[in-house]
Amino acid sequence: MKPNTRRISSSDSLYLAVVLLPIILLIALFIYYPAVDTFGQSLTNRNLRIRRPPKPVGLANYVKLIEDDEFREVTGRSFKVVIITLPLEMAVAFGIAMLLNQRFPGRGVVRTLTLLPWMLPGVVNGFLWGWLLNGEYGALNGFLYQLGLIQEYQYWLREPEHLIFWVTVVQTWTRYAFPTIILLAGLQSIPDDLYDAAKVDGAAAIARVRFITIPLLLPSFGIALVVEFIAAFQIFDVIWTLTAGGSVGGSMNPFTKTLMLYNYELVFRDLRVGLGAALSYIILLMSLAVGLIFVMRVYNQGVQEQ
Amino acid sequence: MNLGLRGQERLRLAVIYVLCAVVLIWALAPIYWVAVSSISTRQELYARPYKIWFPSQPTLESYQTIFTQGAKFRSGGFSPTAHLMGTGLRNSVIISVASGGIVTLMATGAGYAFARMEFRGKNIIFLLIMLMIPLPIWVSLIALFFLMSRLGLVDTLVGLILIFVTLLLPLSVWLMTTFVRDIPSEIQDAARVDGADRWRLVYSIVLPLARPGMVAVFLVSMLTTWNNFLIPLIFTRSDDSQPLTIVLTLFIGQYEVAWEDMSAAAVVTMLPPFLMALFFQRYLVRGLTMGAVK
Repeated sequence: MKPNTRRISSSDSLYLAVVLLPIILLIALFIYYPAVDTFGQSLTNRNLRIRRPPKPVGLANYVKLIEDDEFREVTGRSFKVVIITLPLEMAVAFGIAMLLNQRFPGRGVVRTLTLLPWMLPGVVNGFLWGWLLNGEYGALNGFLYQLGLIQEYQYWLREPEHLIFWVTVVQTWTRYAFPTIILLAGLQSIPDDLYDAAKVDGAAAIARVRFITIPLLLPSFGIALVVEFIAAFQIFDVIWTLTAGGSVGGSMNPFTKTLMLYNYELVFRDLRVGLGAALSYIILLMSLAVGLIFVMRVYNQGVQEQ
Repeated sequence: MNLGLRGQERLRLAVIYVLCAVVLIWALAPIYWVAVSSISTRQELYARPYKIWFPSQPTLESYQTIFTQGAKFRSGGFSPTAHLMGTGLRNSVIISVASGGIVTLMATGAGYAFARMEFRGKNIIFLLIMLMIPLPIWVSLIALFFLMSRLGLVDTLVGLILIFVTLLLPLSVWLMTTFVRDIPSEIQDAARVDGADRWRLVYSIVLPLARPGMVAVFLVSMLTTWNNFLIPLIFTRSDDSQPLTIVLTLFIGQYEVAWEDMSAAAVVTMLPPFLMALFFQRYLVRGLTMGAVK
């Protein structure tokens, strides 16, 4: 125990007040108070289109949503996005991490350029891919046509069944850098001796990956999956510019409407505040388990490992 | 086939560089294409089949157009757009720099408190800040919108900055706490025995040593704010406060589709993050992975 830490001196408490009070105030006022208020509103039938004072309706909004076909459809779609994105993203990230784990001249430059897409605005990424996949003049068409792989230009973003697939591709492109970094750090912590020993024992390259690399990377995959689950589950920006139609207050493409877009639509376009508030709490419940794993890790590292 | 040691090494490098090429095409092709589009003439860009891959006469006309005319995007629309790029750029710069600066100062002060001081409620305050990270933001956003309306802060830069600072706090406080903890405490203890109070200690000993951490927090906060779309989508209405991410979507949704001009707008929107990612990537990666990778 260090000296001077048992008793808080008056100068210390002044310091604490100055640095912590603004933070506590901001978080209380902008995060926790609104969160409680939103919950209160989810128990009313508040609708800004209808000029009447909101009445308490109990859990009616929640029941209405759970029984609603559109809600079920949108929820299913959100999970579909997650289920396609996560394996796709992990495969891309694992491949790139294995490559960047090799020693070769120019590795630093390749690494820097590889991580670029992650740091660009999501709305720009959606736009980039929308233009790339454009049916009239898009580069993908030009490229494939030039290679002779397609006979005529394709409208990649026309078929509703294909849209979700392209959404997951763009989400993968936006986010793969994060799992790549985590997996690369994991790879670099595996001691070379293990591989050398396996080589001596005659294990082939594939076997070495299968029995050494992947098992030892499992914790890294764990971190990456938790973070990427949150990111994919809350997808918004990319869809907005890729397929949603993108105009404020306008109609939204129903085939790529995920939970976050649905929530935006309910509250800020349809002005059904009570219903939208209930939806936000249902989303909270759905992501709670994964979120808690994440926060416990952060918390344990942040405060207790001293 | 026996290649010998040098031959094997050459083959290994050849395979690696081929794979690198594939990875770089995947990572950079969409960016390259939009950059090329923004400096192409419409005739070349709209050629079918497209087969140029670099304009024969590169032109900056699209950039000039989006900053000076703009109205082209909204022919028949209701609001003039000629100055939207200019105001968008100004708003993006103001909110990113201000949010980044303020949150860095706040997080440094708090990071020291969490890393080096003992006080009642420390754990619970830290937990309440960190709980924000996985909290789906909608839970707060809905009621926050009505709160901001009552406070008259909707569609103002001040309102946006306050919200961004709040949202950036958890990551920033976490980073600064770990950074300050990594500074050897012997130096600080020596200074305390000499009777330096907390302010002096933080200002003259912690601040200089924590500078790399502060730079990381500032850059990450700036980048996150610049790239954000949802917050301004909800809390802005006019060019008084709309940043570039919003302006870009206003261009996309309009009547005339001018891909070369929209590409120029996209390039302007992503240029600062792009440059930051090229030149400060070390800091950004460290911050964005919460210091998990150093």
